[in-house]
Amino acid sequence: MKLSRKHIKDILITLSVLLGAFGLSLLFEYIFDVHEHITTVFIFGIFLISLLTEGYFYGVLAAFIGTVAVNYAFTFPYFSLNFTIPVNLISGIIMIAIAVLTSALTTKLKQQEAMKAESEKERMRANLLRAVSHDLRTPLTTIYGSGTTLLENGAEMTEEQRKKIIAGIKEDSEWLIRMVENLLSITKIDSGQVKIIKTPTVLEELIDSVILKIKKRYPSQKVDIDIPDDVVIIPMDAILIEQVIVNLLENSIQHAKGMTNLSLKVFTLGNQAIFEISDNGCGINPKMLEFIFTGYYTSSDDISDSQKKNAGIGLSVCATIIKAHGGSIKAENLKAGGVVFRFILDTESDYEA
Amino acid sequence: MRHNKYKILLVEDEANIRNLVATVLDNAGYQTILATSCAGAKTLYASYTPDLIILDLGLPDADGMELLSFVRKESLTPIIVLSARTNETDKITALDMGANDYITKPFGSGELLARVRAALRNNRFSSHDGRLPGGRFILRELEIDYDARQVFLNAEEVKLTQTEYNILALLSENCGKMMTYASIIKAIWGDYTPEGSIKKLQVNMANIRKKIGDKPGETNFIANELGVGYRLNA
Repeated sequence: MKLSRKHIKDILITLSVLLGAFGLSLLFEYIFDVHEHITTVFIFGIFLISLLTEGYFYGVLAAFIGTVAVNYAFTFPYFSLNFTIPVNLISGIIMIAIAVLTSALTTKLKQQEAMKAESEKERMRANLLRAVSHDLRTPLTTIYGSGTTLLENGAEMTEEQRKKIIAGIKEDSEWLIRMVENLLSITKIDSGQVKIIKTPTVLEELIDSVILKIKKRYPSQKVDIDIPDDVVIIPMDAILIEQVIVNLLENSIQHAKGMTNLSLKVFTLGNQAIFEISDNGCGINPKMLEFIFTGYYTSSDDISDSQKKNAGIGLSVCATIIKAHGGSIKAENLKAGGVVFRFILDTESDYEA
Repeated sequence: MRHNKYKILLVEDEANIRNLVATVLDNAGYQTILATSCAGAKTLYASYTPDLIILDLGLPDADGMELLSFVRKESLTPIIVLSARTNETDKITALDMGANDYITKPFGSGELLARVRAALRNNRFSSHDGRLPGGRFILRELEIDYDARQVFLNAEEVKLTQTEYNILALLSENCGKMMTYASIIKAIWGDYTPEGSIKKLQVNMANIRKKIGDKPGETNFIANELGVGYRLNA
């Protein structure tokens, strides 16, 4: 049976504190000739052990060892066990009581912290759900309304009117598709403790897939690509990272006003792969830069256009995905104008080549 | 509407999607036969012998996979699977069970028709031309001489290693069909050991794509589907 890291740590703590207490007691006893505070030293040791280790086991164990040690080595009669003397018995009971109480207290504290983190996560999820459901109503209104109108009055409309209404249906359903894709990605990560399954992915294939998607949505948009010539293999959930790059490119296409140049650059540095998506558009308000990955925009923001709300969700999805991969993501305004979004992934693979 | 010669069996239980796909196919000149359940599809398949099947995997009476294996026991009729985006494993299972291609919902009508055309064309290609003496494969500027084991791009020879040639030849014999990693690895190396061999395949594929001039985002010949496999675009 393999001991887990946590157990090994707990055992080490218990042993070293007990040894320390023992050493200190020897010091008191033989060098300073003090006999009164040996029990106190052990009680303090047991308090420390109960505080630092998981659960009740180690604290209680240490209390027993401490009681026996004190009884055996430091109290009269020396180097023999004798529990009939009330003083020895009492100090033993006190040590065990302290161990149990401290362990109970720390365990309860840890539980409370976990609960707090959980409820915080719940709250964020509820916020997201509220924001999204609200945003979903706009395109649904268009689609539902257009459908009804075409069905009831389609015959009386001019060809041009019909085309316009149908184009609206198409546009808003495309918006819905993207939104749902983002939501699916988030639920894939958020659902419980499921860890991301990383598979080795060829960078070139990933970029190929991304660019084809962008081309399909924005046929006239050119993206400059700069990736290493060598075959670079990065462990990742390719579908999720694809979504990150698509979101970032799309964000530039939709929000970087005055953009003439959009580029996607990937290079490796040591065992890290650095992805940069940059544009030369209008840049991002420095005040917003800080919150761009964390906040789903709320109604207090001066944004009324639903397209922009989508961008907020898109970027938080990016941050969630990169975080789940153990990487980092940042946005920076460029001196020459425009923005660069940069995220970093490890190229080290857990797999045998 | 004038019909071309192709009959397509559409198996889909959701009425709106069935309606939409049927309309798109009908307007493109295909003759469509509609089924709403696995059992119904089996009967229609037997009596009409369609040229292509479009199959939704979630059917009310049985899993679409059942129809897939039922058809594959009898014929090589191309099958395109409709799938909702869940995970790659569903797609891989369907492809490995003999589906030729899959389309993820939601899809556009253009995409659907392109896949249908490719699957029908694929069926004409895969007549084992490659195994016959003097067999040649020609796809736009790409030409493969199976006897000499040579590949040409714009009439100029492309130098491929043995393994690279074998992979490209395999894709060409299955032109238009999405080939999963596992199926390619099994055909080329014979042994299937998950992580290592996929990496070997990916590296070889990166070299092939470079040599035949495919650049990221400008896929001319070989399309890659992340986490699933590769297809030579017909």
